[in-house]
Parts: sequence; structure tokens; C-alpha cells
Amino acid sequence: MAAGALEGATGTCPLGDAWLAERTAEPLPLARLDGREVDFADAVEAAAAILGEARLPLVCGLGETDCESQRAAVALAEALGAVIDPSDGPTPASQAVGVSTATFGDLRDRAELVVVWRADPVASNPRLLPRLRLDRAGRAVDRTLVVVDAQRSATAEEADEFIELSRELDFETLWALRALIRDVPLDRDLAARLPLDALEQLAGRLRGTRYGAVLHAPAAGYANGLALLALVRDLARIAHVVALPLRREAGARGAEDVLAWQTGYPAAVSFACGHPRARPGEFSAAGLLERGEPDAALIVGFDALRQLPPPAADNLRRIPMVVVDPRATETASAARVAFATAAAGVQREGTAHRMDGVPLTLRAPLASERVGDGEVLAAIHARVAGEKGS
Amino acid sequence: MLRIAQGRVYDPANGIDGEVRDVCLDGGKVVEELPAHAPRIDASGMVVMPGGVDIHSHIAGPAVNAARKLAPEEHRADTIDRTALMRSGTGGTVPSTFVTGYRYALLGYTTVVDAATPPLAARHTLAELRDTPIVDAAFLVLMGNNLPLFKLIRDGGPLTDAVAWWLEATGGYGVKLVNPGGVEMWKHGNGNVTSLDDEVEGLGVTPRRVLEAIAGSADELGLPHPVHVHCNNLGVAGNWRTTLDTLDTLQGRRAHLAHLQFHAYGGTPGKRPRSRAPELAEHLAAHPEHSADIGQVMFGPATTMTADAPVSAVLRDVTGGKWVNADLEAETGCGIVPFEYRERNYVHALQWGIGLELFLLSRDPWRVVLSTDHPNGGSFLSYPRLIRLLMDREFRNEQIGQVNQKAIGRTVLRDDLEREYTLGEIAIITRAGPARLLGLADKGHLGVGADADVTVYREHEDAEQMFATPRYVIKGGRVIVEEGELREAPAGNLLRVGADHDEAIERTLRPLFDEHYSVQLANYPVREPWLLEPARRIPARRNGSRR
Repeated sequence: MAAGALEGATGTCPLGDAWLAERTAEPLPLARLDGREVDFADAVEAAAAILGEARLPLVCGLGETDCESQRAAVALAEALGAVIDPSDGPTPASQAVGVSTATFGDLRDRAELVVVWRADPVASNPRLLPRLRLDRAGRAVDRTLVVVDAQRSATAEEADEFIELSRELDFETLWALRALIRDVPLDRDLAARLPLDALEQLAGRLRGTRYGAVLHAPAAGYANGLALLALVRDLARIAHVVALPLRREAGARGAEDVLAWQTGYPAAVSFACGHPRARPGEFSAAGLLERGEPDAALIVGFDALRQLPPPAADNLRRIPMVVVDPRATETASAARVAFATAAAGVQREGTAHRMDGVPLTLRAPLASERVGDGEVLAAIHARVAGEKGS
Repeated sequence: MLRIAQGRVYDPANGIDGEVRDVCLDGGKVVEELPAHAPRIDASGMVVMPGGVDIHSHIAGPAVNAARKLAPEEHRADTIDRTALMRSGTGGTVPSTFVTGYRYALLGYTTVVDAATPPLAARHTLAELRDTPIVDAAFLVLMGNNLPLFKLIRDGGPLTDAVAWWLEATGGYGVKLVNPGGVEMWKHGNGNVTSLDDEVEGLGVTPRRVLEAIAGSADELGLPHPVHVHCNNLGVAGNWRTTLDTLDTLQGRRAHLAHLQFHAYGGTPGKRPRSRAPELAEHLAAHPEHSADIGQVMFGPATTMTADAPVSAVLRDVTGGKWVNADLEAETGCGIVPFEYRERNYVHALQWGIGLELFLLSRDPWRVVLSTDHPNGGSFLSYPRLIRLLMDREFRNEQIGQVNQKAIGRTVLRDDLEREYTLGEIAIITRAGPARLLGLADKGHLGVGADADVTVYREHEDAEQMFATPRYVIKGGRVIVEEGELREAPAGNLLRVGADHDEAIERTLRPLFDEHYSVQLANYPVREPWLLEPARRIPARRNGSRR
């Protein structure tokens, strides 16, 4: 720090540096309407009008902000009768099966065998393996790291063993592992398509471990997620095995948690009927947008136009967007109303839930006179409520 | 200002047992007198009690929230619409936060203690409590499987200061021990402890040493609520011996046992349990320093949710259904299994019967608290039915006749226990007693200076109906509920303990944090004002010399 500005950061990874740079770049105007700077109050009024008049407003993003702002977003979504669906949501199958999981400390200190299942934390979460002392340099000799993926990734380079497995065989492999662990005979045709020797060895390792962990990307597809969680559940009867989904967004877990405590559901909630209803497929942001259902969107800390699947992004362009984001993004540039806020954890204090659920304090090393995401959302909420007279 | 006029008042802490009189409220407190023109509620023909106090419930924090995520079916079937006054939400056995606050208030409860928060997750619990309106809430801090504390216990370190530091760092109210040592062993290849003298592998402590040491520290600190213990061997046939052993170990020290029903089983591990409620009731009667809440099982849906993760693994194998396990570094674990208690099931009927036995055989209602260990034995919404079971012998016997008779044969309920709880006794086990056991001097009574938390019931022959829908609920002097409808939904207060500690304790703790946590000591204590306010501090009265 020097003269209230950031000189540099220590202990960060390249992704962290980029994250910080986006939030400390030359400040945009606090409020813009159709790209022109306007008074904050005028922007709030315009946002409230867009969202309040919409038939089906969509609230999305939320994974890059703090829990206090996430609370404000759920409250606003409720007042609007909107659908709210965080952008980096949980594995839906966890609601059907449950999960066995753990926090970083236990993964670091207890896990003897760690299987990274179709994730590449060296690229996606560069500090994770060293923090868990799982990188090659930091790993104790009695700990084993196995990577399962379609191609040899950077994480695979850190591993004791790499199992190459085509993405199409994800479900079959997980199901076969369940069978191997439970000594159920495998279908011969299926077995012929799988790297059976490697899987048998992996099953043996998992059965024999005192503390095993599976780190995985949020599952692609419901069935694959179900299979993974079912495997962990089977294993947990034999050995102490946990799983942790790696999240892209720093506040993704908080968005899931806040939504769950306020509504009972962790994702894809509609308030259109006056009370929360959740339908993970039907009310997902991407699904709704692909079908062209929402007629306005409130996007919090999410570059939706770049990150949503193209058909959803194309439809999003056609409806008025209100964007609340400390960064300059393509989505913010395309918005009807854009608020450039003080970033949680940079210029605003707050609380965030780490991907393992541990709540952390976000400090504000930099001063800012700007409001945070939560204050913008609360101001829109107050305006909407005022207009509805409630 | 509000005068609750001419109700039949049950205020056992002040020796008032059904006297017709006025209760005057002003400035959020009970006052001696009010001017004649003060607004009044005509409570003639009604029963007036202090607001209910739940000493052991699970309403906020990571375990509760994980259970919410598991229960979309329940939530779909029980929805609450947004109104001008209320946030929307969902119910079931694990309601959303707002609904939890509203429904406790609608039930006439104004103070609730969340019984199990991992200290590392205190921010999460506090954030949920902030979204749980109306009720004043406190939480107990899990300390029975904490690795730094184990080391201090093993090495004779400054444990008492550490306990006080943890309470201060989290905003917690009291100390909770859950299966001390056993949850740590769960993380060692799915192990557990089975007796108080089992060694916790590699850590140099036993459950008994943990109990003695932490109960001693709680005593030394003079915490308003004594150590709150979930004994080892929950749910295991024959566990009554462990429970008695625990009570013997804590003899001469104040202690509260959680959900005693789940710890009152005779028989042999792995075989069918039987009741040992009479023996435990006997022990409680003889030991005024000990108290318990019952953890009554009520037939129907429940969600088992506990820091006692190995127990959840057993339940997972019973139901074959959804299961959550969550290891929380250095501190605890967590297990969740949705569950249903069935009348025809031997074990469930036995559990139900044992709970009733404990209520009916216990001699001192001041040390027996009504609880279902919500939502473990059933939702708090089943309290009115439980009250009827206690107050109405005919109804109780009819119910006893409808459940698994083999199980009833293993209890003394066949003997047609005569006892019927009086309204005065109900007032004790649902408010006056728990408030006293919690050391909440302003709660659970209607004497001058008490918090103006009052519940007014319309008298009804059917106690279930009477207690299910209070005529009025008043919180902090404001009428919150009228005829089963919310009139206001203000925020409640956080109730936290004020316990001093020597600042030097952080020097002892820092290396233990570096070793065991993924969070640095400096970042651990909760300082966010928006999580900690509004709060009321209840001071501990430290006695004895500092160690």
C-alpha cells in the first residue's frame, strides 16, 4: 500500500493478481444509463423501473460478491417476484444423495489419498494444491495424489498417478468403481471399454485408505454428479472418504448458502408465486434465458454475456440488463443501467464463504467512497418497495 | 406501555401459580404498575405465562443449512408467502431462517438457544440468526473435539482462558461437548469411542479427561449456563451406563445433559434396547447440580442433525437414504440424515416411551426441560402435542395403546402413570426452568425488571390446541402475535456471554492454530458489527484463581 493505493500484492497467484487488477483498475463512473454517466439516484430509479415493470425478471451472478450483498439480492428478488439463480451453483445431485465433505484443514492434515476427478486445480485454483500440501514439492511421502482426466493436465504433472479417461465414459467409470468397491461383477462389454487395471488399483487404494478425498469440478450433468456422490457414499461405508467440489467463483458457496437459509433451496429459486419454489433445470438462469423467458435481468458481479452458453447470452442481449459489478465487463457495457461498485474484499468489508463452507472476513485494504453491491441492491429494493407502496 | 389485565398468571419463578392479576409492561420490561389509562389487553379467562425459552434446538448454522439443502420435498409441501410484514420462506422440519423466527414466535417462544455451532463457523450461525426474526437467540460453542483444547488439556495448559477466548471470539453463549473424543476418532478411519476411558488416538486425552477439564473451566469461569453435554454412545443399547458414568464424573459440578432420552437405553450394544429412564430420573433427583432436556421423539418426520457424525453414519445405514457428513477441521464433525419416527417401530416407540417416562418420573421440574432436540426428535411445532401428552393422562394412555406394545412393555408406561403436569409445571419446563438453567435472569419470569416477553393463551380443555395458538405473544413489550397472526416482526437480540480472559492466551493458541487450522488466528475472531449487533451480554462470574 502507498498513499491509499495498491502497490502490489503478496501471496497471490496469477489468477488472484488478475482478479485484483480488474477491481482496482481506473474507476468507471459509479452509475451509467445506456453507457452515459448519470446520478446514482437516477440510475437507481431506472433500474427499479426496469425490474419492477418486468413480467419475469431474472437475478443472476452473485458468486463474486459477499454474503451481505447476496442477502440483499435474495431480498430484492423476492420483492420483485423474480427468479434467482447464482452463476456457479452446487451439484444438483447433492440434494438427492447428500455429500460427505470436509474443510481445507482436514484435507491438508488428514487426507492420505486424494483423487482429483476431472478438475485441474493447478490451472483453476493455483494455490490449492500447495495449501493442502498436495503439490509434488510439498507432499509427504505417505500421501498419494491421483488425477483422473481426459488429458494430461498441469495437475496430472503433480500427481503420483494419472488415469486417462475419455469424458464420455465418466458415468460408466464411476459406476464401475462403485461395482469394484462393492465386489459386484462388471458387465464384460462395459469393462472392455474402461482402463480396468487402473480402476481396480484405484478402487483398492480407496478401500484401503484411512482418509480419502475426492476433489472434483462441479459435475457436468446430473447423472455424473449423482454417480460421483454415490461412489463417495459407498466408499464412506468402508473408509473415511470425503469430496469437495471446486468452485470457479470466490463467493459461489456463499451465494448457495445464503439462498438456502433464506428460501430452503440452494439454487434456481422462483419467487413468482410469492413464495420460493425451486426447479434446478427449469429455473436455471441459462435454461430460462435459452427459452427467452425473462424480460429483464439483474446481474451481480458476473460477465454473463461472456460466460453463459451462447444461446442464453444471445437472448440476454435482447432484454434490458441492470448490472452491479465493480469491474468493467462486456456485460456492464451492454447494460441499460450499470453500477460500478466498490469490490467486496478490496474496497468493502464483508463476509464470504470459502468453497469448503468456512466463513471468512473480507477486509478492505483500499479506501473507496463508492457503495458496495449490497447498498446498490438495497437502494433498488427501497425504490421498488416505495413504488409498490409496501 | 401495556397492561395485560386479569389473566390467570403462571410465573413459577416468582411463586405465582394461577393467580388472577395484571402484568404491566413498559420500556420492554415488566414494571410494577402503570397509569390506569395505559393500553390494556383483557386477558380474563386466559392464561398468562412468560415467553417460552428453548434451551436446546438447532436453528442456524452450517449443519442446519446443509439439512435445508437436503429437504426440497419438505419445502415444496410447506410454503409461506411474502406479506407486507413477512419474508417468504419454506417450512418442514428444517424451515428457512425467517420462517423459523415467525413460527417460534407464533408458538409463544421468544428465546431460543442453538445448541451446536462449530466455532470456526460462528460467522455463518450469526448471519443466519440475524435473518431469524423476533426471537432472542444464543448459541453454544462446540468444544468437545477441539484439537488445540485437547493439547491444552493433555499438557495442563491454560484451558480456562482458552475456553473464555473461544466464547469471546465467536459471540457464543456457552460450552457444548458432543461425544467428546468420539467425533475426532470418526475422522480416524470412521472410529469412535465407546467408554469414557478410551484413548483418543494419538492425542493423549480420554472423554473423561475432556469432560472433567472443560466442565471445570466452565465452572471456574462462572458461565451463566454450565457445560452442556451430549454424552458419548448416543443411541446405543446399554448407553445408560455411559450416561451415569458421565454424571458421576461431573458430580459436584453443574452440568446440563442434552436430549437425555437418547442416552437412557438399557440392553446390550447391537441388540434391542430397553428403558433405563427410571434409573436416570433417580440420579437426576439426587443431584441438584445436574439438569437435562429430554429430546422427546414425536412420531412423524424429523431431520437428525448432529455434530456426532458417527451416529449419523449408523442412521444412514438404517434409512439407506440421504446422508451428509461434514468434517470441520480441528473442531468437530457433522452428520445429517432425514428420518421418520413410526409408531409401529419397536425402537421408535421405545424412544417415545422413554422420553415420556423421563418427564413423568422426574421429581424436580426445574431441572427437566421440554425439548425435542428440534429437529432431531421432531419439529418444535410438535411441542403443543407433547404438552398434551404430559397434561392429559387419558389422551396419553390412548396414545400408548396405539404404539408398538413390545416397546411399551420395556418401559413403565403400562403402569398407567398417574402424573398429569399442571399448567404451573408446564410453565416451569418450557420457560422458567430453562431460563434459570441458562442463567438468563431477565427471561422466563414476569417479576419487575424481567424482559416483557409474555405469552397469553386462551384456556382450552385440549392442551394441544391451547398451546398451539397463543391468543397473544408479546416480545419486548410489543404485541407480535394476535390470534395466530403476526402483527410485527422485529429483529431479536443475540444473547452472548461476557467472559474475561488473559490476552496472553493468544500467544499459546497461535502455534496451535498454525498447526491445525486453515485460517490464521488473527482472522478467526468475529469482529463484524453487522453480525454481532444487536446483542446483550450476560456476564460470567468468574470465581477461583486464574490458572
